[in-house]
This record gives sequence, structure tokens and C-alpha cells, in this order.
Amino acid sequence: MEEKTKRAIRAGVILAFVIVVVGLLIYSRIQAYSLAPTSTPIELRGYPLWAIPLVYLYDYFSHGTICLLFAFTVAGLIYEFVPKEVITKYMGSSRAVGYALALGIAPFLTVCSCTMVPLFGGILYAGAGIGPAITFLLMAPASNILAILLTGELISWELAGVRILASATVALVAGIIISKTPWGKAVENEYQGNSVAPAAAKVEIVKPPLDERLWAALKFGGYLAKQILPYFILGLIIVGYLEAFLPEEIIKTYLTGAGGVLLASVLGGPLYTPTLVEIVLGRGIWVREGVILSKGALLSWLMGQPYDFANAIAVSRIARWKVVATYVIIAWAGSVTFGLLYGLLSGSL
Amino acid sequence: MKEVKVEVIGPEPECMRCQAAKKAVEKAAEKLKQAGIMVNIEKINIMSKGTVQKYGVLVSPAIAINNTVKIMGRVPKPDEVEKLIVEAAK
Repeated sequence: MEEKTKRAIRAGVILAFVIVVVGLLIYSRIQAYSLAPTSTPIELRGYPLWAIPLVYLYDYFSHGTICLLFAFTVAGLIYEFVPKEVITKYMGSSRAVGYALALGIAPFLTVCSCTMVPLFGGILYAGAGIGPAITFLLMAPASNILAILLTGELISWELAGVRILASATVALVAGIIISKTPWGKAVENEYQGNSVAPAAAKVEIVKPPLDERLWAALKFGGYLAKQILPYFILGLIIVGYLEAFLPEEIIKTYLTGAGGVLLASVLGGPLYTPTLVEIVLGRGIWVREGVILSKGALLSWLMGQPYDFANAIAVSRIARWKVVATYVIIAWAGSVTFGLLYGLLSGSL
Repeated sequence: MKEVKVEVIGPEPECMRCQAAKKAVEKAAEKLKQAGIMVNIEKINIMSKGTVQKYGVLVSPAIAINNTVKIMGRVPKPDEVEKLIVEAAK
């Protein structure tokens, strides 16, 4: 009995913490208080060179700490509570289910990059086919929870929503197209050659009590923060300089309009940047005093994620380079198409 | 002396969280040695045909005890692993 009360109290304390974090975020929303840095280029230029990163970091963290705390807490919670067994149980049962799982659950499981390529391989071996595997691969980094939360908080929720839709469409199209190509089929046959239906009976997931799960969720959030924050801070330092010295005219000339979308899509990919840094950098380049200079180009830039080099190399070890080349081209074409489309429709190209 | 087989399932090369999971298992194994339970720890590759045929698609890190996956996608505490192993040994 006493053990039970102890656990209940522990769970209650953690839940209270989560509620406070969420509450703070909502409160900041109601107060219409900016969660993003507010320094203007002119202000920043007034400081000596060495001080700019410090001023900018201070500016960012005095506003953005709530947002980061919220993002890491929620990411940890979702990761812990999303039913992972579903993937084991249903992946491989049919092609349509495979695609649905790759689109619907994958983004929640891949906040940690080390789970992505193994899952890709697992999907192939399980006989779900190359299509769902590719869909998963493209959807995962583009729409993981942390990326979406930060895009929403730092840039805009509209852009975050469009990003999910656009990534899902591109991922699905790429999966379907590749499963129809001869080289895609070749990889599929190689993996399915002597595939056996996975034995679902051998998995009996043990769930620890609620307080331990909640604690594990927060710990995982902390682990993510430890992994990502160093890059994030480096990104912010670069952005500080960009905001101070990259003249608005240059962005308006080269990084807006149809040409801007093209350039953004090319820069966003190979330029290997960890997901979250891409968001901060994108903000530093296109958002000036709260106004997005080109929504289209910014979307293209953000969608450049799935075809960066590091990912492509890891995947080419499992699938052939032809498959990789095909998905890179499709992902790139997708980022340009959606960038242009969104730019035109929102009147901000 | 009872024997229990524990498989730690993760990618090759090992990721950080899989190393942490393995350490938890090792700690549990050490404790159980005194209690008379032999724990055979094996590290298996999540991305091999054999693993997927046996267990299906898993989220790493995963831990299987006596050929049943008990933990998936999280790093357990040593005493939790210990409890599971004791249960399996019964």
C-alpha cells in the first residue's frame, strides 16, 4: 500500500511539472509575448563583433527557454507513450498498412537519429517492401515532433502544418514511385527472397508503472536536449551574425521568388545541418523583424532535410545507390514544387 | 544454477542508448550471479535478417529475455531488468 502511495505522489509531482511547462507556454501565448529573439539588425550591429553571439544568445534564451523546455518535454512524453509495438505487430501485414504506419507513427519514433536507419532496414526485412521503407525514411526527419514543435514556435504554425502535409505527400509519392522502378524491385526481392512472416508471439512488452514511465519520458527529453543543444547554440551564434550583417536586400534579391526557392532547396539539402539547426538558420535568413520574406523559399529550405549527405550514405549501404539517387531527386523536386506552390498560394514567394 | 539468455538488440555500430541498455543488463547480471542465476548476455544486430525473422521490426534499443522481447525503445533500470530475469528463471 505504501509503495502505491509513493508511486502516486511521484507521478503526481512529474505531472504537475508537465502541466506547469505546458501552462507557461499557453500563458506566453495569451500574453502574446514573443518566444523568439527580438533584436533588430541595427541594434546588433551596434555591438562589438565578439559580443554579438552573446547578445543574441541572451536574447534568444531569455525568450525561448519556455519554448525549448516545452518542446523537449513533449517530445519525451510522446516518444514514451506512443505504442511502439504497433510497428512490430502490423508492419509487413500489407502494403497499405505499411504506408500508413510509415506516415503516421514513424515521425514519433525518430526523434533520435540512431533509430531511423535500423527501422528502415527492419521494415525492408519484414517484407513490407521498399515503398513503405522509403516513405518512412523521408517522412521521419521531416516531421519528427521536435522539428514540428520548433518550426511552429520559432517560425509559424502555419508553416509547420504545411511542412507536415508537403512532406507526407512527397514521402508517399517517392515510396510509390520507387516501388515501381526496376532497381527498387531488385532491392525488394533481395530482401524478401526468403522472408518469413515475423513471429508476433515472441514480443510481450512489459510496461513499468506510470511514475517510472513519466520519469523515463523526462529523462529522454533531457537526453535529446543534451544531444541537440550544442548544435542548436552553434546555429544561434551563426544566426546572430547573419541577422546583423546579411543585408535584407541580398535575401530579397537572391532568396525570394522562384529563383529563391530553387536556391533554398539546393542549399537546404547537401549543407548538412541537424534538423533543428536548419529551423534556426532558416529563421535567421528569412525572418526579419517578425516578417517572413518568402514563405515559399523557407518551406523549400526546411524540406531539404531528407536528402542530406550523411543520411544518403547510411541508406545507400542498405539500398542500392540507384534507389538513393531516385529518392534524392524526388525529394528535391518535391521541395521545389511545394515551395513554389505554397509561395504562390500564400502570396509570399 | 539456472540459466537465462538475454539478448540486447540494437544497431551496429552500437548507439548510445543501446550501450546504456547493455550496461543495465550487465549490472543486473552481476547481481544475479550471487543469487545463483547465470545470465548469458548476447548483443544482436537489429538489422540482420535473423533478428527480423525472429522478432519482427523493433525499435532500438530492445531487450529479449529467453527469446521474448520484453523491452523496446527505452533504456531500463538495472533493477527492472533484474526483476524480469528472475521471473524468467522461475
